[in-house]
Amino acid sequence: MGVDPTVHESQRVTARAEAPLPGHQLVAAGITKRFGRTVILDDVNLDVRAGEVIALTGENGAGKSTLLRICAGLLRADEGTVRVGGRIGYCPQATGLFELLTADDHLVMFGRGAGMSRKEGLRRGRAILAEFDFPLGEKLVTRDLSGGTRQKLNLALALLADPSVLLLDEPYQGFDHGTYVNFWDHCEKWRQQDKAVVVVTHMLAELERVDRVIELPAHASRREVSR
Amino acid sequence: MSSLLRVLSMAEMHGRDLLRHHVAVGLLIALPLSFYFSSTGQDGGHAFVAGGVGMAFSISGATLFSILSSREVDQRLVLSGYRPIELLLGRLLFLGPFGLVVAAGFATLMWTVSNPMHPWLLAYGVAAVALVAVPFGLAIGAAVPNELEGTLVLIGVVGVQLAAPASATASKVLPFYGPRRLIDASDSYGAAIAWPSILAVAYALTLLALARLFVSQRVTIQRHESVSSS
Repeated sequence: MGVDPTVHESQRVTARAEAPLPGHQLVAAGITKRFGRTVILDDVNLDVRAGEVIALTGENGAGKSTLLRICAGLLRADEGTVRVGGRIGYCPQATGLFELLTADDHLVMFGRGAGMSRKEGLRRGRAILAEFDFPLGEKLVTRDLSGGTRQKLNLALALLADPSVLLLDEPYQGFDHGTYVNFWDHCEKWRQQDKAVVVVTHMLAELERVDRVIELPAHASRREVSR
Repeated sequence: MSSLLRVLSMAEMHGRDLLRHHVAVGLLIALPLSFYFSSTGQDGGHAFVAGGVGMAFSISGATLFSILSSREVDQRLVLSGYRPIELLLGRLLFLGPFGLVVAAGFATLMWTVSNPMHPWLLAYGVAAVALVAVPFGLAIGAAVPNELEGTLVLIGVVGVQLAAPASATASKVLPFYGPRRLIDASDSYGAAIAWPSILAVAYALTLLALARLFVSQRVTIQRHESVSSS
């Protein structure tokens, strides 16, 4: 699967979205979202197959995070539908964590949501954190962790329940260089595990490591809704 | 069974998070104490009301803070498998007993210092404050967009409840009227107990229902159809 760097893929993807092919894990069709009178997303389509890594790019305010939140189910689209093939793992851009809970506390809590025992949540979560060089020996509350370390925890929480669809909104914020490279290596690993991965990114240098690049048009498509 | 475990997990983590806010917990205890001791020079009944109803600031404030500070996480917890009602019940499971413990300590102090006519009724009234304060904080926290708005609503409601005389209409329609009447009754003879008790329970249940409604609206996620169903 090659890179398509020019992407205004919406028309092409529309055709796919109408008749999803086998192996599709995420199909968003005709997504429109307005905030007030401003159109953020206008008839946007996105489909991702199992074992595919997609980079979602675009200018600030193009609606990348909004699209991801809609796909995760955290935000309701004004129009359009989303269909998914399995469990969703979502990693937000901002670290929405409990400030005075430790990483272990978070793993237990999120693991419990996915039906895991305390022991299982800790075992799986710590294994994921170890892959990203999280300082497991330090029992600090998240408020006392660095931004990059908090983001590692955020990413681990998204991965904890072994989701088949991964929606990652600039998940490498604050990562040091080694961890950043490690993250893209993990994208390859997730591809091999047949996960459908969408990464919101501005890091154009890494686009060769994804299967498709989808650029959301920003202001050109954004318009004021007429009264 | 798994639902119960999720509720218990939420209660445990919520308790850990709140109890690690040492300064906030200290202020939570100090605030009604200052209300009470600043009023002890006046007639005893007023001091009981100032301290007892003032405790609503603390309990509701702690509840409000907990629900607003975790708003972003809550939706992710629902995405991970929690149901909105489990988040609410988990908080209630920790904050309810926590409020009752604070109320018990506070009632004991007021009993020792001011010696009310009916100590058990004072304890009962202060416990009623705690039981209304938790769903009150949950409902405000789920309804308002930010901490500032929530704090202002809290100050407004509890402040009016404290400042307005019990006979005022404004006082009678506010959520802590029932508990206030119970606290009043602890230092008088022949005051009604049943009606204020019913009122307190009715307010607590109504506020809890509102909190349930608002929490569901805020943290519910869209469950998408399966790709295979197309």
